[in-house]
Amino acid sequence: MAGSIKDQVAIIGVGCTKFGDNFDQSFEDLLVEAGFAAFADAGIEPERLEAAWLGTFSPYAGNGKASVSLADALRLYGKPITRVENYCATGTDAFRNAAMAVASGMYDVALVAGAEKLKDRPTRGLGWENGHPYQHDGLTAPGVFAMSANRYFHRFGGGRDALAKVSVKNHHNGAMNAKAHFQMEVSEEQVLKAPIVAWPFGLFDCCPITDGAAAAVICRADMARQFRDDYVLVKGLGLAVTSGRPWYDASNEYVGFAATRAASEEAYRMAGVTNPVAEIDLAEVHDCFTWTEITNYEDLGFCRKGEGVHFIGEARSALSGDLPVNPSGGLKSFGHPIGASGVRMIYEVVTQLRGQAGARQVHDAELGLVHNLGGPGSVACVIVLGRQ
Amino acid sequence: MIGITNYSVYVPRRRMRRDAIAVAWGVPAGPGCKAVVNFDEDSLTMAQSAAWPLIASGGAEALSFASTTSPYWQRSAASLIAAACDLPTQTATADFGASLRSGTTALRAALDAVAAGSVRTALVASADCRDGAPESVEEMLFGDAAAAVLVGSEGLVAELVAAATRYDDFPDEWRRDTDAQVRSFASKYSLTRGYTENVVAVGRALFEKAGVRPEQIARLALASSDGRAHVAAAKALGIPAARVEDVRVADIGITGAAMPLFLLAQALDRAKTGDLILALAYGDGADGFLFRALGDGGRLRQESAPMEYPTYQVYRKLRDYWRTSGGSAEISNVFLRREETQNVRLHGSLCPQCGTLQFPIAKVCGACHYHGKLTEKPLARRGRLFTFTKDFLYTGPVEPTVMAVVDLEGGGRFLCQMTDVEPAAVEIGMKVELVLRRMREGAGDHYYYWKCRPAEGGL
Repeated sequence: MAGSIKDQVAIIGVGCTKFGDNFDQSFEDLLVEAGFAAFADAGIEPERLEAAWLGTFSPYAGNGKASVSLADALRLYGKPITRVENYCATGTDAFRNAAMAVASGMYDVALVAGAEKLKDRPTRGLGWENGHPYQHDGLTAPGVFAMSANRYFHRFGGGRDALAKVSVKNHHNGAMNAKAHFQMEVSEEQVLKAPIVAWPFGLFDCCPITDGAAAAVICRADMARQFRDDYVLVKGLGLAVTSGRPWYDASNEYVGFAATRAASEEAYRMAGVTNPVAEIDLAEVHDCFTWTEITNYEDLGFCRKGEGVHFIGEARSALSGDLPVNPSGGLKSFGHPIGASGVRMIYEVVTQLRGQAGARQVHDAELGLVHNLGGPGSVACVIVLGRQ
Repeated sequence: MIGITNYSVYVPRRRMRRDAIAVAWGVPAGPGCKAVVNFDEDSLTMAQSAAWPLIASGGAEALSFASTTSPYWQRSAASLIAAACDLPTQTATADFGASLRSGTTALRAALDAVAAGSVRTALVASADCRDGAPESVEEMLFGDAAAAVLVGSEGLVAELVAAATRYDDFPDEWRRDTDAQVRSFASKYSLTRGYTENVVAVGRALFEKAGVRPEQIARLALASSDGRAHVAAAKALGIPAARVEDVRVADIGITGAAMPLFLLAQALDRAKTGDLILALAYGDGADGFLFRALGDGGRLRQESAPMEYPTYQVYRKLRDYWRTSGGSAEISNVFLRREETQNVRLHGSLCPQCGTLQFPIAKVCGACHYHGKLTEKPLARRGRLFTFTKDFLYTGPVEPTVMAVVDLEGGGRFLCQMTDVEPAAVEIGMKVELVLRRMREGAGDHYYYWKCRPAEGGL
């Protein structure tokens, strides 16, 4: 039986650090800042928590390795804490697990924290340390998505011009966000003239390497009003996993991500969403690279396969469009500390649904979508959040 | 009757112009260019590339590798080559080295083994990539290449008429166990007393043994130590210049232990039925063979367009890449052994239920999810480019690193780097072939894996 989590879990507090090159903050510092911001927002003391989930993708120097990283940062001892890792969908999957635990009746109040300290390490970019010692040598994160983008453009036409529009839009939104890694506008010309990272992606087609943490306090929906009136409800969520080595699958057409399609179908079913582009007011989607945002439009059902280029071309995903996508600035501009990103997206959608997003506020936002995509498009998590 | 049943050569696609070397050092330029390995090639990979077309069209019961530049002091390169050619483990492998005539010594052993009946077919692959010291004459002259011949008693392209050998512990060119580069007494004395005296002596011994006169020789495959000495030696043997094989110094270079078999393959390929071919190799003595062509040549595949290094600096950097690159973690032999059929022999899994051929080796079919006995099956080593990227972020020795997803002929999709290609020439749908290349340096070891490159004609 396919169950539903609709209206069973409420988000009563959120917190987020400034994202960026946080050279003076440790992994623990980030967690403390985001965690206590969420406690203050929810109006609770940490002792009120009954359980916690930590999302971290890539531990460094022991930070983020296990539950103890969160326990020691927040001095949350003697409680059940679980570390979650699921590629770039780590943050949303940590939230999903926490939400299901609360929905099950096991806990009344729980914490979800996502954190990543990428700038402590010497590497440039993210390697593709996918386990095998040499089969994938040469593969990088932008390279993985670039291979898809090239096949997509080979099949449907279009190219770097369309990609540039995504970058310009997300930088525009991020310029209005004080917590974003980059708060600057870019022009299409700047994007197109930037050095190539992995063809067809130039520098401004790629999200940055960022430090940051975000946190959310959740509780049983029927007790949410004890904490605040403007709580946000989980309307639906879905997680789907496909092959982590899509390059070996000869049936893979390489023009989008089945994981996103499956995860969003599940989340829409729970939320009762049948026409996403009409019913969803804003979406925070996984724009690790500009082309990823274009395929996301299609895989999330905002438009048909192959039409994502038009969706951005016609400015439908702009802040003023009929479905604003990444009003926060997205991974592109806000930054992408991997385990933190999904929780940060939840932070943005909650802020929008409460009407507290300032200059980048989406008018009368009632239903928002969060989408994480991990690995080579293999792990997707979609969460639909709504006002009561 | 024993002899040669097939032959092949491998010339790396990279070229270094000698005038560019001359500019770098401010010395007079030599003519033409030399063929040089790409950063991911070495003698082992070149020999495998030369051996593979011969194995693919017939197999061999023995495989030997001959080189003065094996990537291993201890570890049989022949065995790794045999595995990469997917030969069975009962194949007799052997490594020959040390001498510039190690290729012909291996050939002699192969002919003897077939003649003795211990094996029916034996493959000999020789390769060298000797590194001349910067600014040296050797740097100007030396080129890199490989050649392979298949020995047998059926389906001969040339029969062995006679063989001869002589050793001569004459110190004119050597490399100690501690030397990275060749040392020599370069002098007229070294040439005449060493090279000329030995090859002429063995040539004359063959004439006598076979009852053949010099004017009956249609083709002389005479390896040269400097690009010139063979001319005088041919004259001393009484063979006119027109019948002497071009030693390819102007477009490939002095290719060390690969040169004798390379020139033999070239002579066989240009031969007409009935031609007598005299093959001579020098090195601490000399080896010689007299073959009679039993058919017309024309088997060598077209060499693809060479790729010139733009400058000497690029060449030098790439040649030194593995010596200067950082290395990576050790890989356990437990892991390497378990994946050998997949990563070295290039086998995939064939699903008995839906017929899908897939890589890597699977226990559950990726297409129909059948869980049972999937059959191990070799993958084709040719295919078409399905998609790609040109990656400037990856820390490789050249920018960009081209990553490729390839649909293999007969099934299976493969991910690998693309090599030997101008990035501007990469396009979806292009034909590619898989080639064994040096992939990375671990904690004290080389690791080999497959890359793709634009396909040569007619494999």
